[in-house]
Amino acid sequence: MSYSKTSIKKLYALSSENKRYCFSQPLKHSIRIGKREYEVKLKSDEKYGTYILWKNRKYPVEVIRSRQNKYEILFNDISYTFTVETPFSMQRMKVLSSGRGKAEKEFLKAPMPGKIIDVLVREGSNVLRGEPLVILEAMKMQNEIQSPVNGLVLKVLAKPDTNVMKDDILVEIKVE
Amino acid sequence: MKIKRILIANRGEIAVRIIKTAHKMNIETVAVRTSVEPNAMYLSLADVVFDNSEDTSEIPVFLNIEKLIEIAQKTKSDAVHPGYGFLAENAYFAQKCIDNKIIFIGPSPDAIYKMGNKTIARKIALAAGIPMAMGSEGNIGNEEEAITIAEKIGYPVIIKAASGGGGRGMRIVRKSDEMEKMFIIASKEAEKAFNDPSVFIEKYIENPKHIEFQILGDTKGRIIHLGERECSIQRKHQKLLEEAPSVALDGRLREIMGNIAVQIASAVKYYSAGTVEFLLDSDKNFYFMEMNTRIQVEHPVTEIITGVDLIEQQILIANGEALKFRQEDIKLNGWAIECRINAEDVQSGFAPDPGKIEKLSLPSDPCVRIDTGVQAGSSIVPSYDSMIAKLIVRGKDRKDALRNCKMALDKVWIKGTKTTLPFFRMLVRNPKFIDGNFTTAFIEKDLDKYYSSSEYEEMLAAWLATKLFVEENLMDNSINIDFKKGKEMSPWLLNKRINQF
Repeated sequence: MSYSKTSIKKLYALSSENKRYCFSQPLKHSIRIGKREYEVKLKSDEKYGTYILWKNRKYPVEVIRSRQNKYEILFNDISYTFTVETPFSMQRMKVLSSGRGKAEKEFLKAPMPGKIIDVLVREGSNVLRGEPLVILEAMKMQNEIQSPVNGLVLKVLAKPDTNVMKDDILVEIKVE
Repeated sequence: MKIKRILIANRGEIAVRIIKTAHKMNIETVAVRTSVEPNAMYLSLADVVFDNSEDTSEIPVFLNIEKLIEIAQKTKSDAVHPGYGFLAENAYFAQKCIDNKIIFIGPSPDAIYKMGNKTIARKIALAAGIPMAMGSEGNIGNEEEAITIAEKIGYPVIIKAASGGGGRGMRIVRKSDEMEKMFIIASKEAEKAFNDPSVFIEKYIENPKHIEFQILGDTKGRIIHLGERECSIQRKHQKLLEEAPSVALDGRLREIMGNIAVQIASAVKYYSAGTVEFLLDSDKNFYFMEMNTRIQVEHPVTEIITGVDLIEQQILIANGEALKFRQEDIKLNGWAIECRINAEDVQSGFAPDPGKIEKLSLPSDPCVRIDTGVQAGSSIVPSYDSMIAKLIVRGKDRKDALRNCKMALDKVWIKGTKTTLPFFRMLVRNPKFIDGNFTTAFIEKDLDKYYSSSEYEEMLAAWLATKLFVEENLMDNSINIDFKKGKEMSPWLLNKRINQF
């Protein structure tokens, strides 16, 4: 990254729902709520593993994934994805995103590893949001994988009786 | 006692559960070691472990009738407990045990067969005058017949697999032009899941409550019920939370439904523990759905409010003893709630999330009972169900039980896989759930999110992400992550890096 490390005074963590949390840099080990500062401690021990201690309560934490400035954090058994931005990268992002339109294609991915039991659509089918497209069996359960959008099926990559990995693309849909 | 040694034809928490009661009764237990879970917890508790870990066939040993009979003989077991799932409701297995002079801890093969086949069960219930949803008299032969019958009953209807269970092979049909497609899907699914494509049709009861009655019967012909369980909190027919008793029943309705449950059980001369399932609509009409001829996952809530150890009763009945109590001896005390803590990712539509349980800490409190088959270091393997533990909480009434449940949920600490905990933490704070105002459609219709978190929790997670970014990018001694290209690191290994900070 092409900036001076010391010149950064603020950092932003943007949630996947575009909520923005701003932290001063150097990062303090406390968070202000109203008028009070509460200490945040990151700890680890044999019994509990890694946890955050906040207001006298332990919360289990884990880093599920991290790639460049993107972090998936598991906090109290719920996962959150953030991208951490500096004031410069924030500015650049705003410029980039202003010219971009909505995604036109939707890639239906396998939510879990498993076996394809049945494919309920063909290329060229019109599908409605919530319509089951693929039946995937994982851990003895059959799961209907539903269309997230209204649209036209462009490609069907899932084949019955084959195994798929998590995030394998099953169906490609043109969003309408 | 004839029964001196029981072979447990099962694994996981139910194997542990059976071993505990057997030991209380001074009966020895035999457990089977498999290649999938060679170090599972249930093995450490059994008196004898039969090592079957060389067997690497795809079909689990718990489904292999010949092998189980052989193991029972080799280990000199005089009885077999099937637990739930696997062969628990397999009439042929029960018969094979009897043929080999091994006591099957469960009902008669005849009762298993009759209740296991839904069309036969329907006919028996119909003959006994049991209230049921309108439906086809037997199995449906083809799409045309399905359409004719559905028109007669009136839409919506539900197609069910005759040999079904657990929600598989079931399809709701709302219009006649959907029927052909749905009939084929249901029939195909039934064939794949149960080796039997036959399906039947029933009137679909909209937004009912799932109420089931626990039954106990002995071989002398006495049958009693132990009150109801409320199991409406379910997703795709998989139960997540159960409680006993139910807010929907008063003493009078409990008596009526309980008596009918006993009547159904009597129709097949039922003995051992069993469960009669009903749907209850908003006008308090109830309909017989099916009878499960085994111990249920959710049996502990009944044990808590009745004080009866159901596994002990199963063993005593199998031993030929008469029930020691009558209907009037059964008193319901307090309230019990069970949360099924599974290795599932609530944020990805409850997708199974198998893995190693790295850390595990469970509350110990007089109001909490934990039934589990895992400990820290155990693995939740993809070949079996995703259950980690059942958290069972008691209270003097529902409000008290809910308060205890909320407290206990915050004390459960599991690392290594994602779990259903966030769902329960949200549920016990949901006003409709707290009011008891929910049906089987609750999860799909009344919830827009399966979990919730406070803004502070998200803020703390954001703080941690920022801290990691700082450590990796802005420190003079920044640690650079070395992701092997195209290969993802185990997420739980990343954890170790945090410790370096």
